[in-house]
Amino acid sequence: MRTLRAWFLRAAGLFHKERRDRELADEIESNLRMHIDDNVRAGMTPAEAQRQAMLKFGSVESAKESYRDQRGIPLLESLWQDVRFGLRMLRKSASFTALAILTLALGVGANATVFSWVRTLLLNPLPGVVAANHVVALETLAPDGSWEPTSYLDFRDLRDNCKSVQAMSVTKPMALAVGDTESVERVWGEAVSGNFFEMLGVKPALGRFFSTAEVDQQQNARPLVILSHAYWLSHYHADPGVIGASVRINHFPYTIIGVTPEEFHGSMPGLSFDAWVPATMYGQLASTGDNTLLDRKWRTFRVLARLAPGVSLGEARAEVVSHAKDMARDDANTNEGMSATLLPMWESHYGIQGSMLGPLGILMAACALVLLIVCANLANLQLARATARQKEFVLRLSLGASRSRLIRQVLTECSLVAVAGSLGGIAIASWLKGTLAWFLPRSSVPALGHVPLDIGVLFFAITLAFAVALVSGLAASLRVVGRNTDEMLKTGGRASSSAHSSRLRGLLATSEMALAVVAMIAAGLLLESFRNVSKIRPGFDAQQVVVAQLDLSAASYDAQQANAFYQRLQQELERQPGVTAVSYADYVPLSLSGGSWEKLEIRGYVPTPSEDMDIYRSLISPGYFNLMKIPIFEGRDFRSSDDMNAPPVMIVNQEFVRRFIGTGTAVGRQVHGWGSWFTIIGVAADSKVFRLNESPAPYFYVPMRQIYRPEMGLAFFVHTSASNDSALSTLQREARAAAPTIPVFDVMSLSDEISVSLFTQRISAGLVSVLAGVALSLAALGLFGVMTYSVAQRTNEIGIRIALGAQRKHVFAMVLGQGTRVALLGITIGTLAAWAVTRLMIGALYGVKPGDPGTFCAVSLLLLAIALLACYVPARRAMRVDPMVALKYE
Amino acid sequence: MTAAKSDVRQGTLALMVLKTLQTIGPLHGYGIARRIEQTSGNRLVVNYGTLYPALLKLQQDGYISSEWDVSDNNRKAKYYKLTRAGHKQVEKEVGEWEQTNAILARFLAPDQETQ
Repeated sequence: MRTLRAWFLRAAGLFHKERRDRELADEIESNLRMHIDDNVRAGMTPAEAQRQAMLKFGSVESAKESYRDQRGIPLLESLWQDVRFGLRMLRKSASFTALAILTLALGVGANATVFSWVRTLLLNPLPGVVAANHVVALETLAPDGSWEPTSYLDFRDLRDNCKSVQAMSVTKPMALAVGDTESVERVWGEAVSGNFFEMLGVKPALGRFFSTAEVDQQQNARPLVILSHAYWLSHYHADPGVIGASVRINHFPYTIIGVTPEEFHGSMPGLSFDAWVPATMYGQLASTGDNTLLDRKWRTFRVLARLAPGVSLGEARAEVVSHAKDMARDDANTNEGMSATLLPMWESHYGIQGSMLGPLGILMAACALVLLIVCANLANLQLARATARQKEFVLRLSLGASRSRLIRQVLTECSLVAVAGSLGGIAIASWLKGTLAWFLPRSSVPALGHVPLDIGVLFFAITLAFAVALVSGLAASLRVVGRNTDEMLKTGGRASSSAHSSRLRGLLATSEMALAVVAMIAAGLLLESFRNVSKIRPGFDAQQVVVAQLDLSAASYDAQQANAFYQRLQQELERQPGVTAVSYADYVPLSLSGGSWEKLEIRGYVPTPSEDMDIYRSLISPGYFNLMKIPIFEGRDFRSSDDMNAPPVMIVNQEFVRRFIGTGTAVGRQVHGWGSWFTIIGVAADSKVFRLNESPAPYFYVPMRQIYRPEMGLAFFVHTSASNDSALSTLQREARAAAPTIPVFDVMSLSDEISVSLFTQRISAGLVSVLAGVALSLAALGLFGVMTYSVAQRTNEIGIRIALGAQRKHVFAMVLGQGTRVALLGITIGTLAAWAVTRLMIGALYGVKPGDPGTFCAVSLLLLAIALLACYVPARRAMRVDPMVALKYE
Repeated sequence: MTAAKSDVRQGTLALMVLKTLQTIGPLHGYGIARRIEQTSGNRLVVNYGTLYPALLKLQQDGYISSEWDVSDNNRKAKYYKLTRAGHKQVEKEVGEWEQTNAILARFLAPDQETQ
């Protein structure tokens, strides 16, 4: 308490210094007078009295000095002096300051941005969830080791038996049609168990959440819904009266019982959901009937679990595996060979983090490269500055300043640069963070566009800036301050260190060059693969084709009604001006939405025991191949007569024929699926289904009129002779007119859909190129700085050379040659490093080898050209040195 | 000045100042210095470079307070006096000193220890 009071008074002592100084002077003066008076009284002459008193008093100034130290807080005062002096010094060398701050801001901004993305997608994938690192994903494994969703019954058995798991919940992401007959909107929701929110530790912002007893018992008995905070805000204007209100979901009335907190977005990393319904309502909402939850083969759910306290993921996984083994034995008819595993969220196959892992990894590596260059650049700048200030330091040291005081001064200046740099970096990061949305697939699932720039990211940015600025600044000035003062005084603080420090600066410039080469080569390889992938022909013609997707599940049609609806809409569309062809299918190729498959049996083909006979397929309408310009090589297209009443038929692709049929005719062969035998009536050309860079895989088509699945997707394809835009609005208008209660979404041209499928390549190539550009400019700047400085240092020498008859073009060549040597060394080292490093990128490359000689040569030449450019200006300056001025300068 | 005189040991000056003010009452800096020197039988020298900061520190700690007043021979001077906390502090420190002294005395006189 008393100490606190004393410190408070000392802090107050920092103010009103003049008044306090005057008071002290008065006190000393009065005490001195009394002393003299006493001396006179003791019999001295006045002069002797004064002399003796002064002698006894000692140094008044030193007394005042120690008094002042006690009055204020010396450290704080000298810090304030340092800050003011530092600001003045930084202002004096404005170009250094601007360069240092800009460099630092770029490095910090880029790293903070990528860090915030990594944090959102990988480190903190489930905002709003309590102790999210204990929440793990449970995935079922097929006999061939591939992952699958989990059936409701398997989930229940695992939930009831696993002791190492505290709680387990299903979640099934689904598109819901929310609204009345006037307007229906597609909202993404999750069908979850009653304990879902409790397991995640999420508390309602309003109302209540489901209770296990209430919703896990009977199917289709509890039409309850919980809304997201964002949806509540945008659709109900944050009205608390919404609790208990009714809302129609897929035409069924549901009661709103709660609202989630603002930060909660659901259980899939990077995605945001707006509604939650009980999993026991799934059968009703998806029109799949009660069997969905009672059939072990209906593997459709995603399972999340929270580990029991003190249990490691490995222990829990072992228990899950052992239970899954028991289930594979007990329910052999459905589960034979199946297993299950637990995965941390970031390894789970749901959400967008999986597809982002590769690009983010490459991005982080590129950012680290940029940061290294920033460090080298800043160290270079600081070194140049420290060398330039050597004179000042030597003077201050010889006038009695302590080394620690000088170092404190340097630290203060570095901190000022760091503060400005981190502020700049944060500004850059807050501007860049939104750009994550540009790189996310424009798919129908709502991606989490909002990336929070939270305390963690800010802390990261500031720490980074300070670490870089302080380390580089300290290292540079220690070299100068640490020397012998006498020696430095003799040389006038100039020449002694120049040879040493310019070698160090050359080394820094070399490493910057090398790092830039690595970044550029990585970017070059990614750009090349992006180009290669974009050049791949998808096997269909996307020109002049627009697509709209419809959510039929909202309408609860049966097969008859659905067929009637397709035909009605097709006829309406065909009547529109500019429309040349209309077709529909359940899947849009390359649309990222994941396809459907059917287990097939092909008469005359005996699969090997481990062979995966789940073959991907499309349900299509007649005319689809024509519209997409996919050639049919053998047999015929579907006809409108191929319907429920006709014998089942299918068309297969060339790869299907190659793998299962061989050289014989495919047409007429029998294939079993959906419980009946289909006859192959045609062979279509291979085309790309999921990714442009996939290799051909067996694929088949069946008429939509023969197979009906209530949960399937529906996409209308329109080929137009008019512009895509007018076709898009026609499609949207007619689809809405045909059935106002069916949500229409993702209306876009087919070529846009294809570019969406390139997003992984695009994000890697685009961002890494930007970062490589930053790296390149920083390295060029670094080399420019070194050469300019070196020319300035050698002005004297160059002047003498010219005075002695050296030709100016030789001087020019000499400087250029010096810079080129630095650059060439850097390029060589960088090329070797890139040779080793790019091997790690092999998974991200397509059609180009990691050691692609073209890219390596192109990048080396580009870097050399830029290095020459960076040396050109200093070389010109050297050439123009006036010998008279240079000699006088000394 | 003879070699026998020594500077006041650090840390003890504060106690001497407090004790002086307790004995004499309000006093100015010069008076405090003289009084300490006299009490020590001129064996101590009070350095003003140490005295003023010590007085300031005691003020900051709240043990003494100061005000300007006129001295016996009509000079304006800054007078220091003990506060209530200062009185308590003197008692406390004196007690501590006596205890320390007693302990030290036993150490420094080993002959007595064995008895």
